[in-house]
Amino acid sequence: MTATITPYRSAQQSGHDGFAQLLRAEWTKFRTMRGWIIAMLAAAAATALAPTALAGIAKSNDPEVCAHGLCQVESSTVATGPDGEAVSDSFYFVHQPLAGNGSLTVAVGSLRGTGLPPFVPRKFSPAPRTQPWAKAGILVKAGTRPGSPYAAIMVTASHGVRMQYDFTHDIAGPAGSVRAASPRWLRLTRAGDTLTGYSSADGRHWTRVGTVHLAGLPATAQAGLFVASPDYTVDTQSFGGGDQGAGGPTQATAVFGSVTRRGDWPAGAWTGGHVGPVGQPAKVSVTCNGSACGSAPPKPDRFRQSAGTFTVAGSGDIAPFEPIVDPLQVALYGTLFGVIAVIAVAAVYITGEYRRGMIRTTLAASPRRGRVIAAKAIVIGSVTFVAGLAGAAVAFVFAERKLTALGWAPPVWHDWSLTSQVGVRVVVGTAALMAVTALLALAAGVITRRSAGAVTAVIGLVIVPLVGAVVLPTAPAAWLLRYTPAAAFSLQTSTLRYPQVSTSCIPYHGCYPLTPWAGFAVMCAWVVLALGMAAYLLHRRDA
Amino acid sequence: MRHTLHAEWTKLRTAPGTAMLLAASIVLTAGASALAAAIVACPGSCTADTTRLSLTGVMLGQATVATLAVLAMSSEYSTGMIRVTLAAMPRRPALLAAKAAVLTGVVLVAGTIAVGASLLAGRVLEPGNGFTTANGFASLSLAHGPTLRAAAGSVLYLALVALLSLGAATALRDSAAAITVVLGLLYVFPILGDVVLNPVWQHRIERWTPMNAGLAIQATRNLGTLPVGPWAGLGVLAAWTAVALLAGGLLLRLRDA
Repeated sequence: MTATITPYRSAQQSGHDGFAQLLRAEWTKFRTMRGWIIAMLAAAAATALAPTALAGIAKSNDPEVCAHGLCQVESSTVATGPDGEAVSDSFYFVHQPLAGNGSLTVAVGSLRGTGLPPFVPRKFSPAPRTQPWAKAGILVKAGTRPGSPYAAIMVTASHGVRMQYDFTHDIAGPAGSVRAASPRWLRLTRAGDTLTGYSSADGRHWTRVGTVHLAGLPATAQAGLFVASPDYTVDTQSFGGGDQGAGGPTQATAVFGSVTRRGDWPAGAWTGGHVGPVGQPAKVSVTCNGSACGSAPPKPDRFRQSAGTFTVAGSGDIAPFEPIVDPLQVALYGTLFGVIAVIAVAAVYITGEYRRGMIRTTLAASPRRGRVIAAKAIVIGSVTFVAGLAGAAVAFVFAERKLTALGWAPPVWHDWSLTSQVGVRVVVGTAALMAVTALLALAAGVITRRSAGAVTAVIGLVIVPLVGAVVLPTAPAAWLLRYTPAAAFSLQTSTLRYPQVSTSCIPYHGCYPLTPWAGFAVMCAWVVLALGMAAYLLHRRDA
Repeated sequence: MRHTLHAEWTKLRTAPGTAMLLAASIVLTAGASALAAAIVACPGSCTADTTRLSLTGVMLGQATVATLAVLAMSSEYSTGMIRVTLAAMPRRPALLAAKAAVLTGVVLVAGTIAVGASLLAGRVLEPGNGFTTANGFASLSLAHGPTLRAAAGSVLYLALVALLSLGAATALRDSAAAITVVLGLLYVFPILGDVVLNPVWQHRIERWTPMNAGLAIQATRNLGTLPVGPWAGLGVLAAWTAVALLAGGLLLRLRDA
C-alpha cells in the first residue's frame, strides 16, 4: 500500500508578479527613503533658484551688446522688424515707387565681392573675397525705413536663388551661382499684398520660387534693385579660456541687365541710396582695441546706370539679428546644481540596494532582471522629470522676468513666455535632460555597483565636457559638445538661429554645434548604450 | 600615532579600489594632458601657456583622486567598520589626522608620477604642434622656475583636493553625497566663471572657487593678468580644504558614529 503525500500548498492565492506590481514595489522603495525625497526636492529647488540668482547678477548691457569684452554691434544699428524682432536692415537700394500692381524683371550677370576685405589678424583664416550670403536681386519694400516689411527675390553668392521676406523667412530656389556667360533671371510681381518671385536660366522658361503675403504693404511701395554683403566675422576661443574676434563690413557689386518694368511705375527715374546704417567695423576684438584692429573704412556704396545695365555696389545685410550672448542660457547653467543632485539620487537608488544586500531580495522577488532595471528606470525617470519640470518652469519665468528688468529686453533679446515655442522647449527640455541624466546614473550604478564610482563617472560624462568646452580651443571644444552627453544642454539655448545668417558659432559663447533636439538625441544614445550594458551585466553577473 | 598610521595604511592598501583608482588617476591625468598637448596647436592658440597646457589632465584626474579620498572615509561608514576603528582608536582627531597623512602620502606619490608623465608628454608633443623655440616657446623643463612651481603645485593641488574630499566625506558620512558635493564644487563653478555676464562676479568666481583658484598655480605666463596669483590661489584651495577638514573633524568628534 502506498501512501500518497500531498505537498503543502498555501491556501492563499498566489500574488501577481506582473510589471505593475514591480513598478509599485520600486516606487515604494523610492517613496519611503526620506533622504532621497529630500535630495530630489533639493534638486528641484536648486533648479528653480540658481538660474534666478544667476539672472539677477547679469549686468545690464545697454547701450552695446557686449560680453567678455567683445562688442558685437551698437544697438543703434539694430532695427525692429515687422514682428517686433531685432533685425539687420542695411543695404544699397536702387528704387522708385510702385503704385499698385506691377512687376520687375532683371538678369543678374555677376555678383562678387569688391572693395577692401576686412582686416583679419594672421591667426584667423582670411575673409573670403565674396561673402557666401552676399545677395543681389529685386526688392519690394513698404518704404525705406529700416525694419519695414519687404519681399525679395535674389541670387546669393553660394546659396543659389532665394526668396526672402520680412527678415525671418527664407525660401530656397534653384541652386547655382551667376556668371556673365549664364546670367540668372529674376522676376518679382506684386498683386495687392501678394508677391510672387520667379527665377529663370534663360528669360523664357520661368519657375515660381515662392508666393508670400505681406501684411502692411502700402499701395505705393518702393521697388527696385538691391545689393547687400553681410559683415564678415570670425571668432575663436583659445586654450585656457577667452575668445578673440575680428571682422568688419564687406561689399559686393552686382551687374543687372535687361531691367524691365511692368505695371504702375509713376516716377520713371531710379534713385540710389543706402537703407539703414552704413557698416561700421562691427566687432572690436579683446586683443586689439578699436581702430588698432585695422578694419578698413568701408568704401561708399553706389550705383551706375549705363544704357539698360545697372552696376550696384552694396554692403550690409537684410536678415534677422542674432546676438552673440544668450543671457537666459547663461542663467540656466544654474540648473547644473540640480542635475548634479539628481545624479547622486539616481545612482544611490540602485547602489543602495547593493550596499544593503537588498538587491538579493529584489532579484528573488523578480527574477527577470531586465524588468527590474526597466521598473527602476521608469520610477526614477518620472520622478526626476516631474521635479525638473517644476524647477525649470519656475527658473524660466523668474530668470526671464529678471533679465528683462535688467535691460536684456526686446527687440534684441526676446521676452519669451512660458508657453512660447522656446519656453516649452527649454522647460520640457531641461526636465527631459535631467530625467535622462538620471537614467545614465542608474545605468552607471548597475555597472559599477558603487555610488562614488557611478557619480564620478556620470559627472565626468555630463558636466566635465562643459568645463572642457570653455577651456579648450574651438575645435576640440565643439567636438565635446557634439559627441558627449553634454550635447543635450543645447536644449537650454534661447537664441533663434537662422540658416540664412552666417554667425560664428563657438562654444565659449554658448553656441552648440547641434540643434537642441539633435543634442538631446546624442545624450539619449549614450543612455540607451549604458542601459543596455547595465541590463547585460545585471543578467550575467551574480548579484 | 605610529600604530594609527600603520592601521590606516593597512586599510587603504588593502581596500579593493585603491590601486585601481590611483592607477586611473595617473592614466587620466597623463592621458588627458597628452591629448590636450597633441591637439592644441600654435596657429590658433599661440598665446597658450605651454606648461599649463601640458598639465590640463589634472582637471580630469582630480575626479578619481576625490573618489579615492571620499571612499577612504565613507567606506568605513557603509561597511560599519567605523565602529571597530573607533573602538580601537578612540582619539578621533588623531584618527582623522592619520587618515589624512596616509592619503596625502599616497596622492603625492601618484600625483608626482601623473604630473611627471604629463610634463614629459608635453615636452615631447608640444614642439610638433608649433610650440617651438623659433616661435618663442622654450622646451618644457623643470629647470625653469615657474614650470617647476607649476608642476610641484599641481601635485600639491591634487593632495589638497584629496584632503578636501576627505573632510567632506567625514562630515557627510555618505559616499554619494560627499562625492557629489566635492565634484559639484570643483566642476560647476569653472563653467559659471566663464559664462557669467558680470565681470565683477566673474572675477569673484575665478578668485574664490577651489578649482579656478587652485589651478592658478599652473600658470607660467602673463601672471599679472591672473585673477589670483599662483600661490595665493593654492592658498584659497587650502582654505577650502581646511574648512572641510575642520568641519569633518568637529562632526566626527561631536557625533555618535
